[in-house]
Amino acid sequence: MDIVIALTINGLIWGLIVALIALGLSIIFGLLDIINVAHGDFFMVGTVLGLVITGATGFWIALVLVPLLGFCLGLVIERLVIRPAISSASLTIVITFGLSMILQEAVRATLGPQPRRMAAPVEGTIHLFGIDYDVYRLFAALFAALAIAGFFLFLSRTTLGTWIRAVRHDRETATALGIPVTLVCAFTFGLGTALALLGGVIAAPITTVDFRAGIDILPVCFMAVVIGGLGNLKGTVAAAMLLAVMEGVVSAFADPTMARISSLVVMSVVLLARPHGLFAGATR
Amino acid sequence: MRGAGIALIVALIAALASLPLVLPAFGLTFWVNVVAEILIWSLLAASVNLLFGYVGLLSFGQALYFGFGMYGTAIGISLLGLGLWPALGLGIAAATAMAAVAGAFAVRLTWHYFAIITVVFSLIFYFLAMSAKWLTGGDDGLSFSAPPILAAAGLMLTDRTTQYYFILLICLACYALLALVVASPLGLRFAAVRENEKRAQLIGINVYATRWIAFVLAGFIAGVGGALLALFGRYASASYMFYHVSGEAVVWAIVGGAGTLLGPLVGTALLIVFREVVSGLWENYLMAVGAITILVVIFAPKGIVGSLNALAWRGEAEEKEHLENPGVPVTARAEAE
Repeated sequence: MDIVIALTINGLIWGLIVALIALGLSIIFGLLDIINVAHGDFFMVGTVLGLVITGATGFWIALVLVPLLGFCLGLVIERLVIRPAISSASLTIVITFGLSMILQEAVRATLGPQPRRMAAPVEGTIHLFGIDYDVYRLFAALFAALAIAGFFLFLSRTTLGTWIRAVRHDRETATALGIPVTLVCAFTFGLGTALALLGGVIAAPITTVDFRAGIDILPVCFMAVVIGGLGNLKGTVAAAMLLAVMEGVVSAFADPTMARISSLVVMSVVLLARPHGLFAGATR
Repeated sequence: MRGAGIALIVALIAALASLPLVLPAFGLTFWVNVVAEILIWSLLAASVNLLFGYVGLLSFGQALYFGFGMYGTAIGISLLGLGLWPALGLGIAAATAMAAVAGAFAVRLTWHYFAIITVVFSLIFYFLAMSAKWLTGGDDGLSFSAPPILAAAGLMLTDRTTQYYFILLICLACYALLALVVASPLGLRFAAVRENEKRAQLIGINVYATRWIAFVLAGFIAGVGGALLALFGRYASASYMFYHVSGEAVVWAIVGGAGTLLGPLVGTALLIVFREVVSGLWENYLMAVGAITILVVIFAPKGIVGSLNALAWRGEAEEKEHLENPGVPVTARAEAE
């Protein structure tokens, strides 16, 4: 029983981090109509920068600095490679695939091919539901939850957030109303990238820092985005939590690969039967 | 233009056929195998191209059918003890059957949804292949020794030149099949569906069936590629089914020129030769591949062959117009425009 509780909590925590990253993917998809294959690598760059900046200064500085760097990285990428190709929409997926190669190889060239571990900034364990639990994991969940809440507050309470929602809803009307659509798109890409890097720096102490990390996390994020409904942000968060808990619990009884396969099957059924996601109609 | 095109193709075939005789004379024996590998991989790119370039569906999961072709052949030889041709047939049949089933679902979707579902299907079978170690060998893969092509004549794949011609002939057959299909009424239906789905439907084309046929054909071509690679390397591995392999094939097809018959071959050749030459000198050469991909998509979305074709067409149009209005020099008119 203890193991099930532990795996459920692990799943919840990992689900919050995945939700954070998947939100970035979802908002980029919803606004720019881009399938960002490099999003997993954005996360990976986040773990790497987290490791490097923590080594140079400290974890708390990294926690603030990495998402800011991510935002700038996103702006640069949007300006240099996304915007010139936006007219040939189906090819943007190819662009982001090229981007993914560049990011992975750049990290491999600088950090080396060996996976690394990062020490948790908060040591110690806590007694929880009869099991000893890493304190940092709880912190990680807290950071992720705060960031998600902040993101939704930003979308609903600020002018820029309202603009983003307006452009998502109806680009032409938004243009006619004088909303700087191009700027909003650039900002959104930066924001999505920043979320992925933030997820990376939060997750760095509980996973390995490796140039291949993005390849593993990308399918998980896509599953969350698709099952939640493409572009449906709240659905994305719910689906990420659901999937992570499900995979966590299933892996207690069966092969983890089977857990992964079962969620992929769920994803294809959702895509075919309800292409707007499980939660379509609830909140759009 | 047509005559020039035919001449070009004949020259290309002649060049490919004479390679195993020419390359060793220059001490480049190693490159015979590189060209064979290019031919094999170009089939995977051609399979992507058939779907994207001719029917307008971008698949990121063609490695699945490649993998089925590969495993069908490898399992046929190593576990079932089949001969070379039955094993090759088994691999291709497995890939085609898988494409027929997956396609029946996948082509219900279009646009980004299609790209995603093709990746999901390939991921499901990638994970299945990774965990079914007793059958597939998982990450370690299956090794086997290839049976003879024709025992009576003593034709063996172990002979480099024989192997090359074996691969070349099968690849040429695939390209001939693709050329026939594209030029046939079915090929016109492909184009109609790609250009305007609604209009195609209104003039009585069954869009779903057309897409499905293309999907199965693409699976077949990818399966041939996979089966050939299994025979070429005497090896099959689940890692060839991962979505990165599909992604590479998309890159080859688009860099070469989507929607042209030779584009995938040109793209594959360029990037594999680039890999062979540069990877020894620079470990992180994939950065350059990524950059090339992005630059091609931004500046030449038609790819290399597509851009060359466009240039040739423009030249021809100018020439024709020049013949019709001999009084106006070509350059002056270009300036006026």
